[in-house]
Amino acid sequence: MSGMDLSVKIGKLELPYPTLMASGCYGSGEEFEAFADLSKIGAVVLKSVTREPRLGNPMPRLVPTPAGLLNAIGLQNPGIDWYLEHEVAKFAQRPCAVIGSVAAFSVDDYAYVTQRLAARDEIAAIELNISCPNVGSEGETFACDPALTGKVVRAVRAVTGKTLIVKLSPNVTDIAAIAAEAESAGADALAVINTLRGMSIDVHAWKPRLGNLTGGLSGPAIRPVAVLAVYEAARAVSIPIVGQGGIETASDALEFFLAGASAIAIGTANFTDPRIPEKIVNELGAYLEARGLRSLRDIVGKANVGFGTPFQYEGDVG
Amino acid sequence: MLPRPSVSDVVVLDRTELARGVILLGFHAPELVDVTRPGQFVMAIPPGGERAATALAIYEAQGERASLLFFVCGARTRELAELRPGDKLSLTGPLGNGFDLGAAANVAVVAGGVGIASVLLPAQQLTQRGSRVRLFYGARNVEFLVDRDRFANAGCELCCATDDGTLGHHGFITELLAQAEDKPDLILACGPSPMLRATAFVAAELGVRAQLALEETFACGVGGCWGCVVPLDRKSSQAPKFPKSAGDFVNARVCKEGPVFWAHELRW
Ligand SMILES: Cc1cc2nc3c(=O)[nH]c(=O)nc-3n(C[C@H](O)[C@H](O)[C@H](O)COP(=O)(O)O)c2cc1C
Ligand code: FES
Repeated sequence: MSGMDLSVKIGKLELPYPTLMASGCYGSGEEFEAFADLSKIGAVVLKSVTREPRLGNPMPRLVPTPAGLLNAIGLQNPGIDWYLEHEVAKFAQRPCAVIGSVAAFSVDDYAYVTQRLAARDEIAAIELNISCPNVGSEGETFACDPALTGKVVRAVRAVTGKTLIVKLSPNVTDIAAIAAEAESAGADALAVINTLRGMSIDVHAWKPRLGNLTGGLSGPAIRPVAVLAVYEAARAVSIPIVGQGGIETASDALEFFLAGASAIAIGTANFTDPRIPEKIVNELGAYLEARGLRSLRDIVGKANVGFGTPFQYEGDVG
Repeated sequence: MLPRPSVSDVVVLDRTELARGVILLGFHAPELVDVTRPGQFVMAIPPGGERAATALAIYEAQGERASLLFFVCGARTRELAELRPGDKLSLTGPLGNGFDLGAAANVAVVAGGVGIASVLLPAQQLTQRGSRVRLFYGARNVEFLVDRDRFANAGCELCCATDDGTLGHHGFITELLAQAEDKPDLILACGPSPMLRATAFVAAELGVRAQLALEETFACGVGGCWGCVVPLDRKSSQAPKFPKSAGDFVNARVCKEGPVFWAHELRW
């Protein structure tokens, strides 16, 4: 697998591997350095940062569910001033690219935080988290309305020339429309998908288990939803898509590539086993090699073509 | 510099069911033993995938063998309870900050139920250096006061309590602690959160400093997701750095800044 080309280009960003570590699941990379070889991953997407410091949601913030995880962290972070002063410099030490993630509650704040963060050399690209389900209805407003998506992406596009990845929500009726709007407003790439809204209730205490009452569902449970969202978004845009949602194995990752993703992000699977990202990269290489392919680009979006045997309809044409 | 934790594949050496649904799992892990400090934990990677790893305290760590002691209480622990000698298991660790034993000479160790798993290593280290250790050990009934002999053999004095009176004091273990003669100079505790809160209260009444090993649901276990926080006095040396404007407490990660905290610094 040594000669396999797993590199990807996302906007201006060139990465040696197609594996991103999903925002909020990997700290700043440092937390996982003892357990994973960061030089074997594409990039770390940092925890989302906001304009003001946020203490985050009350506990409990995590509820394990069948093949998944409900979380409601609530964007705990020190705010952009502190972040720039005390944390960003450390990111230069990572042996992989570091992508900043920006969250906000208004168009102005999205632009303000992005402009300041993107100005730093340590930050290779910006992911716009317009789809956080855990900070009240405001968090997702932008990703749930094509007009607002367009507005916020245009405002952010105007303040940075760095690669801009817009992270979409699955909690919408027509993700293709939102994807198209983000592209025409200037997004370089899309991250598809953020978590699905969910709730778990304690039947003894008669109350929701999460401190925030509602949360975002991630992990293998949401994978088919995510694959479809990528499939639909990919047909609506020509910019690259970072597919995510329940990826645990190379085979899971391949579903996303075939659905139309150019890269993938791994979040919750790191909580199962921090060796998973490296394993996926190795197995993707082996998969390509076994099929005589040289590059992952050869399979992106090929789900409706089929591999080897071209699709033939043999039934009656009605 | 602290020794680095790692992910390792270990082989199960022994498995004992100490009581109904209480499993002691020993495994061969010399590297882990070398770097483990009392109060630390591991994330046990689920053999079948599809679930977050399980955080479990390191119970014993001696020579080439370490062990975990856990109650079967869900799908993840049920899966671990299926392991048999010879089976492989992957662990991430050791993780978290352990107990700070300082120079304490007379220590009260308080354990409730499965909390016992966190306190054997500190108790052993304390008795070995000649400190007096009284173990205040509470559980539902006598059957679940597991592995008492090991503590007695390590030189601990045992004071037990059960919810049903089948052994020792009939009631809460913290009631025994409150009545203890010869005031301890340090309290260490691990158990369910009501017991820890009661311990913090008793410690304050006695005027003794207490360290509590908190139990929390973890996802990553390594400080990467902020899912396991507890409010901590921002002046605590364990408090994550955070802007002052946010207030006088900070949400600290139980898995990273903890799991052991000074009771008087918690703002819960
Ligand atoms: C604990 C946790 C925290 C998260 N925090 C963020 C965040 O701050 N910003 C963001 O854009 N996405 C966040 N996410 C969503 C993930 O980045 C990812 O899109 C989602 O979990 C789906 O991927 P997965 O199933 O591989 O985890 C978070 C997810 C989890 C589980
Ligand atoms: S469990 Fe992820 S930060 Fe503690």
